Amino acid sequence: MKTEITFRLNGIERSLFVEPNDVLIDVLRTRLGIKSPKIGCDQGDCGTCTVFFNGKTVRSCLVLAIEADGGEIVTLEGLSENGPTPLQRAFADRNAFQCGFCAPGIILSATELLQKNPEPDRHEIQEAIAGNLCRCTGYTPVIDVIAEVAAKKTAGKNRKSR
Amino acid sequence: MENLKVVGQSVPRIDGLEKVMGSAQYVDDIEFGPGLLYACVVESPFAHAEILSVNTAKAAQVKGVVKVVTGRDFPDKFGLYMKDRHVFATDRVRFVGEQVAAVIAWDQKTALRAARLVEVKYKELPAVLDPVKAIDQQCCLLHPGLGDYTCVPWFFPKKKTNVAHCRKTRKGNLEKGFAEADVILEDTYRVPRYAHCAIEPHAIAGLYDNAGRLTLWSASQSPFTQRNVFAEALSSLGLTHKDVRVITPYVGGGFGGKAGVSMEIMCAAVATAVKGHPVKLMWNRAQEFYNTYQRQGVVAKIKMGVRKDGTITALEHLLFWDAGAYVEYGANVVNAAGLSASGPYKIDNLKIDSHCIYTNLPPGGPYRGFGYSEFGFGLESHIDRVARKLKMDPLEFRRKNAISAGDILPYGAPMNDNGLRECMDKAAKAIRWGHEEKPSAPNKAIGKSIVLLWKAPAMPPNASSSAFLKFNEDGSLNLLVSGMEIGQGLLTVMAQIASEVLSVPVAKIRVETPDTDRNPYEWQTVGSHVTWSCGNAVKRAALDARRQIFELVQRVHSIDASELYLENECVKCHTKPDMAIALRSFVIDGMQAKDHTFKGGPIMGRGVFLPEFASAIGDPETGQGGKPNVHYTTGAGGVIVEVDKETGKVKILKAVLAVDAGKAINPDLCRGQITGGLLQGLATVLYEDMRFSDKGKLLNPSFSDYKIPTALDEPAEVVPILVEVAQPDGPYGARGVGEHTMIPAASMVANAVFNATGARIKSMPVTAEKIALAINQPEVFAKLFY
Amino acid sequence: MPITHEFEFLRPSSLGDALSLLADRSGIKPLAGGTDLIVRLKNGQDTPSAVMDLKQLPELGGLAVKDGVLTIGAGVTFAELIESPLIRKHYPLLAEAAQTVASGGVRNRATLAGNIVSAVPSCDSATCLLVCDASVMAVSARGERAIPITEWFSGPRSTALQPDELVKCVRITLPEKKTGGCYVKLARYNGEDLAQAGVSVLVDSAKNYRVALSAVCPAPKRLRKTEIFLKGKRPTDKTLSEAVKLVALEVCAITDIRATVEYRAHMTGIMFKRCAAAAFARLEGKGPRYGEKLV
Repeated sequence: MKTEITFRLNGIERSLFVEPNDVLIDVLRTRLGIKSPKIGCDQGDCGTCTVFFNGKTVRSCLVLAIEADGGEIVTLEGLSENGPTPLQRAFADRNAFQCGFCAPGIILSATELLQKNPEPDRHEIQEAIAGNLCRCTGYTPVIDVIAEVAAKKTAGKNRKSR
Repeated sequence: MENLKVVGQSVPRIDGLEKVMGSAQYVDDIEFGPGLLYACVVESPFAHAEILSVNTAKAAQVKGVVKVVTGRDFPDKFGLYMKDRHVFATDRVRFVGEQVAAVIAWDQKTALRAARLVEVKYKELPAVLDPVKAIDQQCCLLHPGLGDYTCVPWFFPKKKTNVAHCRKTRKGNLEKGFAEADVILEDTYRVPRYAHCAIEPHAIAGLYDNAGRLTLWSASQSPFTQRNVFAEALSSLGLTHKDVRVITPYVGGGFGGKAGVSMEIMCAAVATAVKGHPVKLMWNRAQEFYNTYQRQGVVAKIKMGVRKDGTITALEHLLFWDAGAYVEYGANVVNAAGLSASGPYKIDNLKIDSHCIYTNLPPGGPYRGFGYSEFGFGLESHIDRVARKLKMDPLEFRRKNAISAGDILPYGAPMNDNGLRECMDKAAKAIRWGHEEKPSAPNKAIGKSIVLLWKAPAMPPNASSSAFLKFNEDGSLNLLVSGMEIGQGLLTVMAQIASEVLSVPVAKIRVETPDTDRNPYEWQTVGSHVTWSCGNAVKRAALDARRQIFELVQRVHSIDASELYLENECVKCHTKPDMAIALRSFVIDGMQAKDHTFKGGPIMGRGVFLPEFASAIGDPETGQGGKPNVHYTTGAGGVIVEVDKETGKVKILKAVLAVDAGKAINPDLCRGQITGGLLQGLATVLYEDMRFSDKGKLLNPSFSDYKIPTALDEPAEVVPILVEVAQPDGPYGARGVGEHTMIPAASMVANAVFNATGARIKSMPVTAEKIALAINQPEVFAKLFY
Repeated sequence: MPITHEFEFLRPSSLGDALSLLADRSGIKPLAGGTDLIVRLKNGQDTPSAVMDLKQLPELGGLAVKDGVLTIGAGVTFAELIESPLIRKHYPLLAEAAQTVASGGVRNRATLAGNIVSAVPSCDSATCLLVCDASVMAVSARGERAIPITEWFSGPRSTALQPDELVKCVRITLPEKKTGGCYVKLARYNGEDLAQAGVSVLVDSAKNYRVALSAVCPAPKRLRKTEIFLKGKRPTDKTLSEAVKLVALEVCAITDIRATVEYRAHMTGIMFKRCAAAAFARLEGKGPRYGEKLV
């Protein structure tokens, strides 16, 4: 039974017909031209399909597309209207990726972390991205970069408040 | 060394922005429009069975199904080093999950549903799962046709057996060596199979157009090798190499798993069955585990003799590889190990037998380390034990026996220049070797170890690289290579080499990912050889362009080319300090002469590299006489672990790897290789392994039970150390380091665990479970494990 | 990997409507976080005629303390549990266990109720709910009933919930005395994993102990004999070594891909000792901070 759903995708309202058994990641990738969330395991284990759904990161491979009706989805494509965020910029400057396949998911998880907890310690950073598997980097450079960005943000805030 | 400006600098990667913005395109991101079809394969439930019949009628009738193909549609065999595979199983299946047929439909759901309706009748055959037993299992030959398969001249298949190849290496006099020994230690070590687990699963799309051209978009480390295999395997369609095209965008991790040809052949074949429509084949994560190359398991029997003073007098190293159902690529892993299983040691009396044995498990193949990680576990564990038997410091023992430049290698050629001893010393210093550490709690113990590693690229002696570069109007460059960016940073490093020669900033160089129609040839991106080989080709291409530039200036301005040099995107002259001709002023439009005519034209450089000193042909009985390896990269790994003696849990307090990169063209990227590769290696020893049922079925084809490390599993501290003893024939002295980062991890941990607890685990992985039981319940451990 | 099985999608706007649907039709699978259900749909393990979304039902949301009872709505996710000041104040043990479930992106969707309805033997929240003596409020068109958590788990993936019932909430009576708790999970590494073994201990200032095990028996369970033995005692090495013998009697583990029975048995004892010691130390305001790994 095809059903029409409507939701905000990266700030723009989109409508389309879906089957109840259509999975969000497949609909985003094959029908809405959103390619940054990747398919890595299709079981919620690897985090490459991470997107923001109603303000929280979710595994879009474990969400039915029909559930998005009336909701709001933000992907890496819609993270920033004004070019790379400080986190993205730092990832690029500091080579905090190798093959790049897991980068979208990791950046979204790290973005959520810094929204919730602007001053995370190393363990909190590890926790936040523990669901994003990366086979290339050994994680250390990734954790380092997130820590640096957080420290910079905090330093900026402290300067402002003085 | 010349005064380098770009080579040796940690410039940010040139693929950075694309990757962090989500713009980087991988195969599954490419749009193919409404004509796209999806393929889904039908898989064997048996490890070994005859195919009695395949009935596709029901599947073909499903609405939305376009075609169903079976093995009969593609009779030709294929394979990289040995042609022992079919596109789809024809008369027999040899592993659980092997493809028997494929359904092509307009959408994935229909293809999946219809694939379940294909009816295959099998007659089950006894499954061969143990490589050591399989040697003598005349009753169950996997490949009765072995011996008639086409293979490279350096393979020696044994007819009417399951031994697809045996690499024998003999040096000196083994009996004499053991007779001279004061201490002899003999034991067996076991290594299971492992999965690469690149985060991007295999994906490929193919289009056989109505004009008869076949194009494939493939997530591959080897676009040209794929083109060659596809063209050969499908030659009955009248395809020639010029009409087969492989395009490779970014690849989401390879580690060897995307080298050669595994599932990609199915898509190439299926595409030819649905002319005019692009068709996509994507592996799901489970298929990624059980139907792509796996790292082969091995049983290693090691016997080593040493004198009281610590000199190794003899080594016998017998390797029995669980190579799986097809060995077209895996046999070369076996071969590489058979040439180098002495490790980086000077051993005068040596015998290595490396057996490649067919088993009814998924096909083995290349995985970062290419056999060296596997034999290294046993060898470096054994060396520690021999040293302790002599009451000798294991590091001192290694210093005494480590190979030096000029020493004779197992197959008779001399060893290349290397920084092995410097690596050893630096690694030892970094883990405070000899310094007693205090554990953090009474139930815990600290252990340390240092192990050595080496590895040579395993490649045919005539594997070549080539590069092509062209200038643009603004003086920027497009560099075309077919070395593959699989995460290691190849694009950036190639840009740095071109930048160094031509003085064009890295930011103004775009390095194109491969398209076999447009980019020049590269054998494969494997064996940690592309920095060296493709780097040489790029350097030659850049020098070629520079030569053209200087000749043009000489022609127009009558300045001898020998007085010219490039700096800041200008041609400058040693004798005319004021002269600076901007590259952008003439690299496309030519240079204006005094008579107002123009000379020159677009500047394009070409470079080719083939190692003209290599040969794979030695005596089949001794291995002597060839020069199968172009050079070895050496290194030393060290680790400090803390082991909880009650739980067996190992905490990596510090992991160190010193590797001799020859010249680190981009030190940050080299360090990135070390950090990533070390963790991948540590995972193989701490918790990863593939488990099969007694029917040959993979029990853990998912991340739920095949545990790859998460951010919470990084070692407490990682210390990457770069040593630079130049490789004379490398670009700026560089040699590869990609695989070497994984090789020492397993033995490093096993030895450090022993050092901490006295528990010697001789089978990988060295899990908390094994350690805890070995310490607390040795009888139970002996009953359950090895 | 798409879902090939076809089903209807139901989105009732009230709990009443949801219960009527359940009463009238068979083959409906409730969808809360979906992190278990959608995997099973993909693998063909579940083939419902309809999937009923519960997330929009106001009756199932919210975490609250009222009249000495902590109520956790069926829609409450593990992320909400971890971040809830109420949980941190009254039962930090629950947050400690929640922190070990899957990973952040999954915890943003996965619910506590879904976790106990799935009822896998390694269920992370089970031992905590057992030692908290929680009860599960089940509702159907026939009415409401409270199912003690000790009667909830009946075997692997099997519970006391009837086909026409939904979980409305989990209730935990707040303890009258001060408590210290601890959850110790054995996993193959630090990252996301299913428990090879799980132990929870809750002790109050009168030295009443509650002990529960998971993953080493077909269904998570309380260890009454061990609790009786420990009553009134400080967890000294000697006491715990005695108690471990009783714990060992309750372990009926199997060997599977995650661990051998021998290792599970060995570890259950060690985990119990560390868990009991930590719970008691926390009761006294010492001990490891919540969330610290003990094995």
